[in-house]
Amino acid sequence: MLVLGIETSTARSSVALVEDDHILASAALGVPRRHGEFLAPAIRFCLDQAGVGIDRVAGVTVGVGPGLYTGLRVGIATAQAIAAARQLPTVGLCGLDVLAFSARYTERRICAALDARRGEVFWAFYRPSPGGVQRLDDPRVGSVDDLAAEIDAHGHEVLVVGDAVLRYAERLSETDAQLAGPDLAWPDAADLAELALPRFHREETHPPEALRPMYLRQADAKIGWETRGRLQGGAA
Amino acid sequence: MLVLGIETSCDETAVGIVEDQLHLRANVIASQVDLHARYGGVVPEVAARAHLEQLLPTIDTALVQAGVHLSDIDAIAVTAGPGLVGALLVGVSAAKGLALAHDRPLIGVNHLRAHVEVAQLEHGMLEPPLVALVVSGGHTSIVAMGEDGTFRQLGATIDDAAGEAFDKIARFMGLGYPGGPEIDRLARDGDPHAFAFPRAMRDSGNYDLSLSGLKTAVIRELRRMDAAGEEPVLADVAASFQEAIVDVQVEKVLRAASDEGYEQVLLAGGVAANSRLRERFAVACGSNGQRLIVPSVGLCTDNGAMVAASGANLLVAGRHADLDLAVDPNLPLAG
Ligand SMILES: [Zn+2]
Repeated sequence: MLVLGIETSTARSSVALVEDDHILASAALGVPRRHGEFLAPAIRFCLDQAGVGIDRVAGVTVGVGPGLYTGLRVGIATAQAIAAARQLPTVGLCGLDVLAFSARYTERRICAALDARRGEVFWAFYRPSPGGVQRLDDPRVGSVDDLAAEIDAHGHEVLVVGDAVLRYAERLSETDAQLAGPDLAWPDAADLAELALPRFHREETHPPEALRPMYLRQADAKIGWETRGRLQGGAA
Repeated sequence: MLVLGIETSCDETAVGIVEDQLHLRANVIASQVDLHARYGGVVPEVAARAHLEQLLPTIDTALVQAGVHLSDIDAIAVTAGPGLVGALLVGVSAAKGLALAHDRPLIGVNHLRAHVEVAQLEHGMLEPPLVALVVSGGHTSIVAMGEDGTFRQLGATIDDAAGEAFDKIARFMGLGYPGGPEIDRLARDGDPHAFAFPRAMRDSGNYDLSLSGLKTAVIRELRRMDAAGEEPVLADVAASFQEAIVDVQVEKVLRAASDEGYEQVLLAGGVAANSRLRERFAVACGSNGQRLIVPSVGLCTDNGAMVAASGANLLVAGRHADLDLAVDPNLPLAG
């Protein structure tokens, strides 16, 4: 079964075509705020390089956050459109789950933590389980001090993964946790597809219109014309 | 030749389908007005979230309305700007997904140009040259469309867009949102000459307009009456305010048309739905011997049909976009 994976919820965007346990093609871009320009050409690139037509794709999986809202929506809108047009099942996965899954070969508890901007972090805790990891509670958003306090109160040895480690290295190094490096900073589309595959096989899928971003925060209620400024485009 | 157009630049999630450039096959709009009403303006993050939830069902409804399948569509057109960046990205991302899924050309459309070109669905292909007033919540400009179809900006508001002025005054008067239709309705029972509000830059010698002084004058007058214990006749205030906005636009647009030697005037954009604007332009163009082209009200406000129509023109001209098409929140009309 050929699965298309799309992960654009962080500063690093990635795409992968995965057939069973085999990565046929992948592409990634580490330049922030370029999700919209990168994603569709990257999918085209992966299909072309793998020498497969889009009609071979049997499922679409996408990272649904938490993460950066604009990137999230780029990924989900693209995934939804492809899946709806090709009548394919979809699986939406939490990027924190994907990160923790990437770090599964550890004896420690895992804390996946992504930079949420505005001085905040998205995070969740995991424990290793056979063949993967198990999330211990719902993802949440808070200050880095809140996160540090939770790590210290966790009662187990913790490995912290995700780009929050890069952003808040100093504060998090004051905790007892082990901090992962940049190779475990962003959820990757190939890991996402690998994690999603069993769900496609078990038919634990959703129709594309059911995919929803995990925002974890209320919409910022700033009015358009004030942020946009006069004459800066806009619409009727 | 069927073109599907997606519009998500502001607060309407809209999809239209046009056949052979001229025939409207579907026009479906999922409005977010209720979501933004409590803020009295469009909230970008709220808009982007709603677009993502509404877009797929809106596409579906449009396909059903046209009685076609997605695989029958020859090209996917989408608004690439101007507009709110997060909102635009939802439509452009979905359009790219559809284009990829069926290997169809992707076409990036200028929202403002689409407001003008939508007229072809009701009046046949435009035959420029003409002068167009593009007037909406985010835009108020007077442009010349040359014989070769290129746009040249002649003038624009130097401060508030007309739709923005309507919204702000409506909000100050305690009317509903959006303000344009509310003021339009209220003004029907009012005296447009009850208050002498300023017509700024009337004699500026160019085609630029300014609306912020007018807005301030209306607010100052309402405050003065309040302080003096006078009860304002809101219908008169609305009518007089609206008349001032309409006056300046009629004057500047007709002067531009006669200076350019063009015999056609076109009204485009959400504020072109204003009944007084349409009425006054009809009279003025009639007495000047100019042909007035105005889309019906439903095609003036943001819609997907305009994107499909403009996209169809670009498809015929062979102007496809690449899959790396970027959104441009400040995309200019001219050029
Ligand atoms: Zn518009």
